[in-house]
Amino acid sequence: MRALATLSCGFLLAASLPAAAHHSFSAVYDGNKPITLRGTVSKLGWSNPHAHIYVDVKGPDGKVVTWEIESAGATNLQRAGIRKEDFIGTEVIVKGFLAKDGTAAANASSFTLVQTKKEFVSEEPTTP
Amino acid sequence: MKRVAVALGLVFVLGAPFEALAQERPDFSGTWKFNQGKSTPGIAGNTPIVPFPSQIVVKQTSSELYVESTSVRQAPLTVVFKLDGSKVTVQAPRGITETGEARFDGATLIVTTRRSFSSPAGETVVDFRETWRLNGSVLSIEKTRTQSGDSATETAVYDKV
Repeated sequence: MRALATLSCGFLLAASLPAAAHHSFSAVYDGNKPITLRGTVSKLGWSNPHAHIYVDVKGPDGKVVTWEIESAGATNLQRAGIRKEDFIGTEVIVKGFLAKDGTAAANASSFTLVQTKKEFVSEEPTTP
Repeated sequence: MKRVAVALGLVFVLGAPFEALAQERPDFSGTWKFNQGKSTPGIAGNTPIVPFPSQIVVKQTSSELYVESTSVRQAPLTVVFKLDGSKVTVQAPRGITETGEARFDGATLIVTTRRSFSSPAGETVVDFRETWRLNGSVLSIEKTRTQSGDSATETAVYDKV
């Protein structure tokens, strides 16, 4: 009985995770702060509804900062012909919007794989 | 008689450029609503490559252009441009500094702005260049965003409300 309760709790918690991960853009990101970043992908969260791409970006002081870039989910990326293997160690240019909390995080409008010049554009059917 | 003719000639010669100027300058005044179907695809969504407002309110005089830009879920930006091209400050949300200039180039209006704010990447500067064209009750704005040596251009179309 206890095992059943534990399993149910686990299921409920797991089910709530994707819902919590899917948030409104304006709650987290600032549409008035566009940002362009160029760096190397060091880690990848290949997930839905959003994928998370971690990009090492060298600042003007030479210090490397790892940025967390939220993009369209893995399914949408795959549909656009972008594979998980395309990312790791690859140089990318990311255009997006800065996080409101001032951390090194952004939401991607588009990213370009520098070597192959492959570009992915994030599109959602809403007005600007 | 000769003096009258000279005076009339002078009036004509001096008056012609002003008349031409008045004809060339369209009046962008009005409330303009974004038309997604007629605009380029890079503007769609919450995270456009080149951001555009969903509504623009413009009040134009012979020397100034008042522009209020509203985007969904964003604080509006307001600015009064001097049409002589001098630099003015854009009223932007806290943490953002923005300056801009506007001038007519024939029948088109050129608006350039520079937005800066601090980020974990250091002081971040974004340059925008807009070319406004009026065709009846349709306003099109071609806008180029330049940042960190990378640029992108999109065109938004607005219908007069």
